[in-house]
Amino acid sequence: MRLSDRVTGSFVATLGVLAAYGGSQFPPVPGQDVGPSVFPMVIGAGLILCGLMIALGVGHSFEDEAEAEADLAEIQGLSQQAMPVNPLRHRLRALLPPGLLLFYVYAADRIGFVPTAAIMIFASALAFGAKIRVALPLAALAPIAIHLIFYKLLRVPLPPGLLPMPW
Amino acid sequence: MNELLEAFRLVLAPDVLIAILLSSIYGLVIGSLPGLSATMATALLVPVTFYLSPIAAVASIIAASAMAIFSGDIPGCLLRIPGTPASAAYTDEAYAMTRNGQAEVALGAGLWFSALGGIAGTISLVVMAPVLAELALNFSTYEYFWLAFLGLMCATLVARSSPVKAIASMLIGLLVACIGMENPGGVPRFTFGITELLGGIEPIPALVGVFAVSEVIRAIVSPEPPPLPSRKFGSILAGQLALTIKYWRQMTRGNIVGIIIGVLPGAGADMAAWVSYAMSKRFSKERKKFGTGHPEGLVEAGASNNASLASGWVPALLFGIPGDTITAIAIGVLYMKGLNPGPTLFTERASSMYALYIIFILANIIMIPLGIMMIRAASYILRAPRATIMPVILVCCAVGAFATGNNLFAVILVAAFGVIGYAMENNGFPVAAMVLGIVMGTMVEQSFVTSLIKSDGSLLPFFERPVSAVLATMTISALLWPAFIWLWRRFRPGQQEQMS
Amino acid sequence: MSSFTRRGFVVSASTVLASSIIGLKPTFSQSNYPNRPITLICPWGAGGGTDATARIIAQVMEQKLGQPVNVVNRTGGNGVVGHTAISTAAPDGYTIGMLTVEIAMMHWQGLTDLTPKNYTALSLMNVDAPAIQVKADSPYKSIKELADAIKAAPPGKLKASGTGQGGIWHLALVGWLQSLGLQPNHVAWVPSNGAAPGMQDLAAGGIDIVPCSLPEARPMIDAGRAKSLAILAPERNPQFPNVPTLNEQMGAHKSVGVWRGIAGPKGLPADIQDKLVTVLKEVYDSKEYKDFMSSRGFGTQWAERAEYGQFMDESDRQMGEAMKAAGLAKA
Repeated sequence: MRLSDRVTGSFVATLGVLAAYGGSQFPPVPGQDVGPSVFPMVIGAGLILCGLMIALGVGHSFEDEAEAEADLAEIQGLSQQAMPVNPLRHRLRALLPPGLLLFYVYAADRIGFVPTAAIMIFASALAFGAKIRVALPLAALAPIAIHLIFYKLLRVPLPPGLLPMPW
Repeated sequence: MNELLEAFRLVLAPDVLIAILLSSIYGLVIGSLPGLSATMATALLVPVTFYLSPIAAVASIIAASAMAIFSGDIPGCLLRIPGTPASAAYTDEAYAMTRNGQAEVALGAGLWFSALGGIAGTISLVVMAPVLAELALNFSTYEYFWLAFLGLMCATLVARSSPVKAIASMLIGLLVACIGMENPGGVPRFTFGITELLGGIEPIPALVGVFAVSEVIRAIVSPEPPPLPSRKFGSILAGQLALTIKYWRQMTRGNIVGIIIGVLPGAGADMAAWVSYAMSKRFSKERKKFGTGHPEGLVEAGASNNASLASGWVPALLFGIPGDTITAIAIGVLYMKGLNPGPTLFTERASSMYALYIIFILANIIMIPLGIMMIRAASYILRAPRATIMPVILVCCAVGAFATGNNLFAVILVAAFGVIGYAMENNGFPVAAMVLGIVMGTMVEQSFVTSLIKSDGSLLPFFERPVSAVLATMTISALLWPAFIWLWRRFRPGQQEQMS
Repeated sequence: MSSFTRRGFVVSASTVLASSIIGLKPTFSQSNYPNRPITLICPWGAGGGTDATARIIAQVMEQKLGQPVNVVNRTGGNGVVGHTAISTAAPDGYTIGMLTVEIAMMHWQGLTDLTPKNYTALSLMNVDAPAIQVKADSPYKSIKELADAIKAAPPGKLKASGTGQGGIWHLALVGWLQSLGLQPNHVAWVPSNGAAPGMQDLAAGGIDIVPCSLPEARPMIDAGRAKSLAILAPERNPQFPNVPTLNEQMGAHKSVGVWRGIAGPKGLPADIQDKLVTVLKEVYDSKEYKDFMSSRGFGTQWAERAEYGQFMDESDRQMGEAMKAAGLAKA
């Protein structure tokens, strides 16, 4: 996922172009000189400028000494890893968490909260390298605990589905 | 004096004390769950307050909201998943301290300076309510525009990455804030025909996505980090006195900034935390340490966000103007209980007013023991293996986002922002700056457009009005300063050569 | 969007099916309705006036029905999501919802296809008429003086605020201006995030007029910062007996304010309708409800079934007119 500044900069600039173009399409509002199109266009212009600066590496010279040394490595050090080069299979796992969230959207109303959450927890625990004998009880118990907190204490209407809870 | 005694009698009634205790625990639990905000904690209390006496009803709201704002720091510090937008400003800092084995210092600072900030805010409420209210009333959209603009500029200060990338992140956040029809024109923008996007993107799902989900993604692709040295948490309050003495200036500044921002309707704890953290960094003698696990910014921001919470009650109590969503709910409860907001509340119902003050102080005092217990309980999270914690967090993200509007679309947003946040972070774009853009975007646009309508298109009032002029000067100098420094460094050597 | 909620229907149907197979909960039968908790959908977020009203209604209903009535805030899409959820719920009486005036506005703007016709109207619970507020020390002593001043001022000179562009109070102002024979934009509209910020800006001197409901204006009036010149309703509001009606001072002008009512999805069986309307009437007459509404300053007004349906249609028609006049409606 790490891309060169040239790529991310161009991406930001492209986003800016799209924002500015999209913004320019909005109809004016009677009685407002500064209509709904102005802000997206200003933001778009800003993004184009920033994107070009990033892509061309102009930005670096703006950093004063306090920030100069704080570059990527440090941010990543913060988030606890130095990103060793992983095999592709390893990196594909990045798609699992968002995938499981989408699974939740798809399944929660169909099979209910507890089974959905159990599947999510089981799958992700295995992906994190948990043993089956850890993952199974976790998948069995944690959804019930979460259900108790959110449904009972917070009154969040979680769908009962196939396995309604007794409370 | 009699009124004060009467106030104490009101507060010390058993039902009030029990209400304070229970709602404190409740607030602590909710605030610590990612995706559940202090606002939600408060809103869920409303049906309960039907059954309580007036003082107990208000007390439960005060206690729950104060606790929830503090406990939003806990998951931020331990897992880098801020519980509330107010904690997002300094999450990286607190998490860095945890990685340095100083989790208890970071959490202790959050707790201690939150409590002190809350008390400072209360004192401002007692002593200066009318003055502050006058200030709040004189804030028109012109002033709000500069304030919001100034808030946005904090993005470049808070991040430890390239300022250009920080600005780009912030602009992306502003673009996200454009989505929906919550704009001055009431025109749906960038909704792509999706009904759910009409109302715009709420900060909470975005926050949960870019912080919590991206953290889960990051964890899943990287090998398990070396476990933190397993050890018992040291005393949570031990170092705090030393910090208080060392950073009393920062603390006071945080309190003052928090009080001022809190009083302004529409600008609440979120903004107070951001501005204070940025100020702390700007004026610090040890700027390089910021972001590496340095408590200075935590002190100032923690002192600030809880102070703003208390002073947010000033416009609410005096004019019934909500300072933020929490006080908006509280105003409803005040009405329901016959404590109608207004100047008469301070004169005719003085004992009730004093009782509210006492409750504020009391809530901030019991925050300390309860908070310590909460921190100790939460510290087990650090010892649990990652393979058990992360899956549970993922489910909490889904449920927490769903709970914001009982709408599954929020879960889709969380997934999307998780990917966006992960990609941004990996490439050096600070996600906190994007969250700031999302939070402030509407305010910048709204205040700018409405100001121009009011001034018939003239920009003059942005600079003419006294408070506005001061804020404008601050903003413009803050904006030009780095460029000036850069130019100065760049051209100065050349000039010297010419001279010699 | 509809895919979401259509799914909701399938799901609730299958939920009932599944739970009956497993045998954990009895199936519902019409005769002993209700025998399980009822969901009351509120299309707006927790903490607002609609939410508070929904919660007090749910609470009293719960006492009368002996079954829990859970308020579920289905927010998003500026009210569209929640209103859609009500209309697409299973018509079994276990999901009802609170409709707000926006249902009569949104389809004119092309935001949704839903209109009041997509529901089984049960009962109107609350109506708040707009009132016209000015700054406490403003030179206008009466609504007549204000009207004259507006007529005399060049277009766009005076500013008003109190809600977003095209919001209910904007439309109320447009309607009033039209009745004075003026252009809808004769008074410039400054969009705001609701009445409270509008009232604040009024007190701060940023704008000249705030049309909004009296309960929304009350804090600033009580604080001596603003005054209310007239209420645009046929009768005075008993909570605010000193505020004259527009009719008293300038002759009739019909204006619909905000309203809230309870409705179910289309096709609700008649016996369930009977039961719900009976209970809602009891709620409406209950001391708790009256006390709550008067403490908030909210107006109460009752209309049931067809009568409520007509009320909504009338509101719909007026909103459409005002929105077209203001250039806010989609062609």
